[in-house]
Amino acid sequence: MSARREIIAAPAGAPDPSQRGSPPASPAVRACDFIFVSGLTAVDLQTGERVSGTTASETRVILGNLKQLLEAAGSSLDRVVKVNVLIHSMLEAPNMNEVYARFFPDPPPARTVCGARLPVGVKVIIECTALA
Amino acid sequence: MTEKLQRTAIAPKNPLLNASRAGNLPHVPGIRIGDYIFLSGMVPVDPATGERSHGPIAEQVRITLANMRHMLESAGSSLERVVRVHVVLADISHMAEMDRVYREFFPTDPPARTAWSMQLRFGNGCEIECVALAG
Repeated sequence: MSARREIIAAPAGAPDPSQRGSPPASPAVRACDFIFVSGLTAVDLQTGERVSGTTASETRVILGNLKQLLEAAGSSLDRVVKVNVLIHSMLEAPNMNEVYARFFPDPPPARTVCGARLPVGVKVIIECTALA
Repeated sequence: MTEKLQRTAIAPKNPLLNASRAGNLPHVPGIRIGDYIFLSGMVPVDPATGERSHGPIAEQVRITLANMRHMLESAGSSLERVVRVHVVLADISHMAEMDRVYREFFPTDPPARTAWSMQLRFGNGCEIECVALAG
């Protein structure tokens, strides 16, 4: 029997890959014991609009949305095993960290932070792998 | 879980697409472990010649994803079983063009994905890796 692959529905307001103009990515996919979450950018789930702020404020929005997405999928932030954070400038890493530390339990998940070129106007992208 | 998982290297049926072997690089094209397949970053290599193919970005993405499909199918999986993709572009301005081609390969219920830009080796315009469920 082959293992099941299940698309996690986007929360209301989040980009939906079946809609025109949204990126061709499901917000998250469950496969066996793991949930794979797409790289999230800061989106206001009330309006569906992208939030353009500081690295700290974008991190706060993203992790708030990530919490909601994981909980809707029956998981949670304390079940996250690995996080990848992409930021537009490594000089901003301390600002991201300050917000980041408030969202995760002790001990927090494994994590990699990388400075990279991101799409125009995006300061932070955060993706993760969590236990289902 | 007490059963020890098996870790098996996988390879493309077309040996010309085994870029890591061709380049004598210290990695395999992919690993199967339990229900999962982890592929190395796939690059635009022409399946007919084994040479890098550096045409327009749309073409590079199309070749890379076709090679990914071949790799997955060689291991008994498929693009429909992909759960997570990382797309790395050499040039962030190619994002929209990459998306356009990407949709052809993942038309419905696409996998989770993160896309960004950083320096790539060998002049490649894109490098794409994935995690998939085994067949």
